[in-house]
Amino acid sequence: MTDAAGRALDDAFLALVRAWAAGGEGCDEAAFDAHARATFAYQFERNEPYRRFARAQGVTAGRAPRTWREIPAVPASAFKDATLATFDPLAAELVFATSGTTAATAGKHYIERAALYDASLLAGFDRFMLPDRPKLRYLNFVPNPRFRPNSSLGYMMGHVAVLRGDGKAAYFLDDDRVDVGGFAKALDAACGQAQPVCIAGTAFAFAALLEELERDARTFAAPAGSRVMETGGFKGRARVVERAELYARLAHALGIASEAIVAEYGMTELVSQYYDAPRSRGSEPRVKVAPPWLRSLIVDGDGREVPAGETGFLRHVDLGNRSSAVAVDTEDRGYRVEGGIVLLGRDLDAPARGCSLDAEALLAGPFVPTLSS
Amino acid sequence: MSPAERRLRAVTDAAERWTDADFPPRVRATRALIARTGYTEPVVDYALDRLFGALGREALRATIEGELGSLAALDGFVARAGRPDVAYRGLAHVAIVSSDTTIGVAVFPLAFALCAGSHVTVKDRDDGLIAAFGETLGQELPELGERFASGIWDGSDEITSRAMLGAADAVVAFGRAETLSAVRALVAPEARFLPFGHRTSAGFVAREALADETRVRACADGAARDALLYDGEGCLSLHALFVERDGALEAATFARRVATACDVAAIEFPAGYDELDAAVVAYRRAALFRAAQGRGEALAGITAPHLVVFDPPTDEPPPLLRRTLAIYPVDGPADALAFLRRHALPLEALALGAPPRADVEEFALACGASRIAPFGSLQDPPLGGEHGGAGRILPFVRAIYRA
Repeated sequence: MTDAAGRALDDAFLALVRAWAAGGEGCDEAAFDAHARATFAYQFERNEPYRRFARAQGVTAGRAPRTWREIPAVPASAFKDATLATFDPLAAELVFATSGTTAATAGKHYIERAALYDASLLAGFDRFMLPDRPKLRYLNFVPNPRFRPNSSLGYMMGHVAVLRGDGKAAYFLDDDRVDVGGFAKALDAACGQAQPVCIAGTAFAFAALLEELERDARTFAAPAGSRVMETGGFKGRARVVERAELYARLAHALGIASEAIVAEYGMTELVSQYYDAPRSRGSEPRVKVAPPWLRSLIVDGDGREVPAGETGFLRHVDLGNRSSAVAVDTEDRGYRVEGGIVLLGRDLDAPARGCSLDAEALLAGPFVPTLSS
Repeated sequence: MSPAERRLRAVTDAAERWTDADFPPRVRATRALIARTGYTEPVVDYALDRLFGALGREALRATIEGELGSLAALDGFVARAGRPDVAYRGLAHVAIVSSDTTIGVAVFPLAFALCAGSHVTVKDRDDGLIAAFGETLGQELPELGERFASGIWDGSDEITSRAMLGAADAVVAFGRAETLSAVRALVAPEARFLPFGHRTSAGFVAREALADETRVRACADGAARDALLYDGEGCLSLHALFVERDGALEAATFARRVATACDVAAIEFPAGYDELDAAVVAYRRAALFRAAQGRGEALAGITAPHLVVFDPPTDEPPPLLRRTLAIYPVDGPADALAFLRRHALPLEALALGAPPRADVEEFALACGASRIAPFGSLQDPPLGGEHGGAGRILPFVRAIYRA
């Protein structure tokens, strides 16, 4: 049972979401600041691992952050190293597992109240993916939530499909295998019924899909109003293609204009999501925008904000993360522009110059027997 | 002077000229190496000093004699006790592919192959170090200049690669697994192939090494140097350091000593970069978070981008990241060996910091490293050591026995 302070924060958050979903402005800097600091204070009292971390960062009960920008951000990996919850995690209404791409074990994001996640998700999805409010058929290259209930992406698309779809959603991803045949059949059916679709999936899954479609020289003409939601990047997978190239190929293969291909940027560790700003979808770079309760800072490796326009790492402050940690540091690089951020991803590290083994090679083992160098 | 002696002297004379930091070709190569690798000048200077300083006449002679029995065996038959007389002939054509490596990795095999009397083709890097050294070799002995060729080509250019490698009797290749696989495919079926893959290095500090201040300092200072040189990107770079518990000095205290030593080593060998990689940032943040939970320590450089992490999770491999050293407290060498095996870490070298102890020596022999070295000298392999466990000149010669 959420305590009174938590309920008050949740009520304020849900009111904010509702107001914005109804066309309101959302919250201004002062309102965001107050809500973020109140959320942090709540978590500082109830979330012991976060409190320990914040103390190590110099925050105490008597020396609280003066603005939301000073709230200590836990690294995304902290969700693996600790249970970041303000409540008994056994009472969580949602538990999402992190991908665990860079660590031996996956982490967990415990969310006390699904209502916060759902409200945030739908408001953002409606605004950025469904501004014309169509009833789409959801053809998903994401984990089926029925079989993978701990996948945030699966949950997200499952929820959207139920509440915004035509009731005939389908899933075409089984672990890393894409069911191209099943998808083709489903898309053919939608085309035959002139039913617009939303094809959602990770860049990795789309790359695999395209490989098969292109091999068979198979193309579609998706019904007018169809769109694509791409998410998740490649996350260390072997098959990496440039995003612009991926979109061009998707547009050609599916008969969906590039402008109707929208990148969603979210994390298991967050409740809210970024999307490509509508006005930037026809050009490069695409600008990411989020609902007003999710704000981001661009910081350097030491956590200091970088000057406007400079590239740094994204630190997210998500008011929806009431029951875990309100501020999360990521390895994603980006920079701020007017009205949003440009996401550069994680693949910008300098190439290795030496003969040292690196993590990628280690994970790619077993090793080719060689002499040492 | 015999032909083999003449070649040996020319090689070592050329190397000696390159030990002079003011030797114009070296000055130019230094600039080019800094531009290619991004390493700072002290690091490049260190590399060139070690590389050419190791190619001394006596060291080269001793290595050849150690492997072939005598230098004279390169010129004709020599007698051997209890075995038939033997002569060694250099393979006609040796090719060396230097890729994804630090500095001048082709120099030693080049020197030995030339001493053997082979023609040598080297796939050089953009810095042109090997080509420049080849010119000096030619100045010392025109015959060597004629036997040496270098080129820079794109490894994905199969036609050129095949032309350069396909006729070689021995191919030495450095690089990642995929590079080595690609090179291997181009090598003639009967040619010798010596692949040197990417590896890492580790260290073990036995509790005896923690017994007195002199040894502690030597281990800590040495470990710092081993970890920071070449920005931690070499196969001889120290990435995992095991420290025995229950020594006179606690393992955690020793880790702090290493971190302090890194601050000092970073002054002598500054990092060649300012901006931290995302992977390093993520690892650092994770270590700080864990430290705040009372699990280990994260000891970041005061003014430089290095990181020493004490007691990181053992279910993860060590951070194979630039200037990042993980220090693991262990009960003994068996723990260290279990860790290395669990993560299937291919080791190039192991640094040890204590007088010999039977179980530590057993660990050293079992861990997979081809070289055991004192702390502080990991990055300074002697010419006479068996590189990667293989001989230095033996791969480039053919034995002919008389019986």
